[in-house]
Amino acid sequence: MLNRLKEWFDSRTGYRALVDTILHEPLPRGTGWFFTTGSIVTLLIGVQFVTGVGLSMYYVPSPALAYDSVRFIMTTLPLGWMLRGLHFWGASFLVVTTIVHMLRVFMFGSYKAPREVTWISGVLMLLVILGFALSGYLLPWDQKAYWATTVTINVARSTPLMGEYIASLMRGGPDLGALTLGRWFSAHVFLLPMTLVTLIAAHIALMRKHGISGPLRVTPGTGSAFFPWHVVKDTVMMAAVFASLFAVAALVRAPLDEIANPADANYIPRPEWYFLSLFQVLKYFPGPLEPIATMVVPGIAIGFLLLLPFLDRSSDRYPWSRSRRAFTGAFVLLGAGVAALTLIGFSDRPRESQRAISAPSENQAIAMDVFNTVCFACHKLDGTGGTVGPDLSHVGKSRDAATIRKIIEDPLNAFDDSEMPPFEKRLSSDQLDALAQYLASLK
Amino acid sequence: MHSNSESASSRRARRAFLVRIIQSIHALMGATLAFVVGGAVVAPSFTRRQSTWLPAAEWSGLEDGTPTPIALRVARSDGAIEVIDRRLVYLVRSGHTVRALDSTCTHLGCRTRFNPDTHRIECPCHGGMYDATGKVIGGPPPSPLQTLPTRVENDRVFVEV
Repeated sequence: MLNRLKEWFDSRTGYRALVDTILHEPLPRGTGWFFTTGSIVTLLIGVQFVTGVGLSMYYVPSPALAYDSVRFIMTTLPLGWMLRGLHFWGASFLVVTTIVHMLRVFMFGSYKAPREVTWISGVLMLLVILGFALSGYLLPWDQKAYWATTVTINVARSTPLMGEYIASLMRGGPDLGALTLGRWFSAHVFLLPMTLVTLIAAHIALMRKHGISGPLRVTPGTGSAFFPWHVVKDTVMMAAVFASLFAVAALVRAPLDEIANPADANYIPRPEWYFLSLFQVLKYFPGPLEPIATMVVPGIAIGFLLLLPFLDRSSDRYPWSRSRRAFTGAFVLLGAGVAALTLIGFSDRPRESQRAISAPSENQAIAMDVFNTVCFACHKLDGTGGTVGPDLSHVGKSRDAATIRKIIEDPLNAFDDSEMPPFEKRLSSDQLDALAQYLASLK
Repeated sequence: MHSNSESASSRRARRAFLVRIIQSIHALMGATLAFVVGGAVVAPSFTRRQSTWLPAAEWSGLEDGTPTPIALRVARSDGAIEVIDRRLVYLVRSGHTVRALDSTCTHLGCRTRFNPDTHRIECPCHGGMYDATGKVIGGPPPSPLQTLPTRVENDRVFVEV
């Protein structure tokens, strides 16, 4: 029955011929484990897509709700922490394996003619993946998100001549806020995925057009078929990487900082590790020299990668052969530089003692923090804030801390017609105490 | 890679074995991913609403035999946020008892309203009609309006929603 159905489907679509074409790729003799890196990258991109779709069902791209929705995913949604764990750690895995894949391609000289365009599409994909990483960590709208994005946009601002325009375009206005989050979210879930899928299709089509480059030493004769003899190697490597990712996601919670607070002077912004090298370069080029770190250095690195197949034109593929030595040296230097800057970036962080700049009192800081992120939307304090609820600038005149706390916990109990949601479960006991005491002190 | 002495049939058997390994590993990875993503996607669909008792009206304010529409405000968590839902119920006193009828039409979920002229509860969507006790007296509704538990304490009527 099933066979007849397949028969009919094939007669109408010709799917078997398509599958045959996909699976029966002739491979050069001696194609080994080194040629599984691309499959691993493909797998991880697939994992990011699937987990990303899952996350998008719960994530809300607005400053008022983004943080709460991510916290909901992490604490309330069954398996939500694991879903975000796979996506969060998957990003790091993807960056690492993409770089490993590029290293493999470089060392085997696989970018040489006729595969220049394949290489360029790969470099572009690396940039797209970094774009995903960058836009991805703004989304939770926590401290890291807010500050890392502030830094990123200011880096873009240092572009000569058009800096201000680029920064405004990235922010969607003069300030970082809802419009920024909206466009970065859209980039992360629509623009970049479309670009990446297009590039993957081109990359794989080009790979099939020219065949894979194969081992350095060419052995005459035909190799074994792609399926299943090479696919089994791909699959084993994919399974190993997938199992590692799963273990990391299960054992290490994906971090979530405090909610974004533009007024917090105590927070020390740190980028994700894959941007630490760029972050570190910034420290060496102060003042007017800054564009060297933000534009020139990364520009040279990316330019070198894009132009590589046109600079290194000999057909010799051995990395240390006379004609390739200089390029391999430059590539190793680039890699070592990025690695060294990343390591320095890890250790070169401000000490804890330097942190506290000016904290009023701890309680008041907690209270202000809660007020500015939660209450602010509906209540006014000293002239700023929403108008849905009453102005709280002098609330301490008429109510004491205990009463205020009760009202915050369960407003409907205090006023029959209150529109305010109950905060008993949304705020911790410490937060409620601090907030109630602070408000009671406003006379 | 494969010597000539290796017979075609043993090569075929090896190939079939590899194919099975490939399929199993991919199925395992797919199932793991499907478990996490599918679990997170499906799980909230099966959570149940928690019920609470809310004060709805003064007993003495209810007219005997006439449904009084009351808008109740119910706080509930909606994903990441807390929202306040308005739910319309009818309180109907008859003698010493009071019933609370959910105003949702049992046909396709539209909001019914009480028509004082006809003394009927009517649904604007498909013409469903209920009497003052919630019994169907016309139109497509398959069952009477849902009754909610009530309780009277010191002249106050509480409804469980």
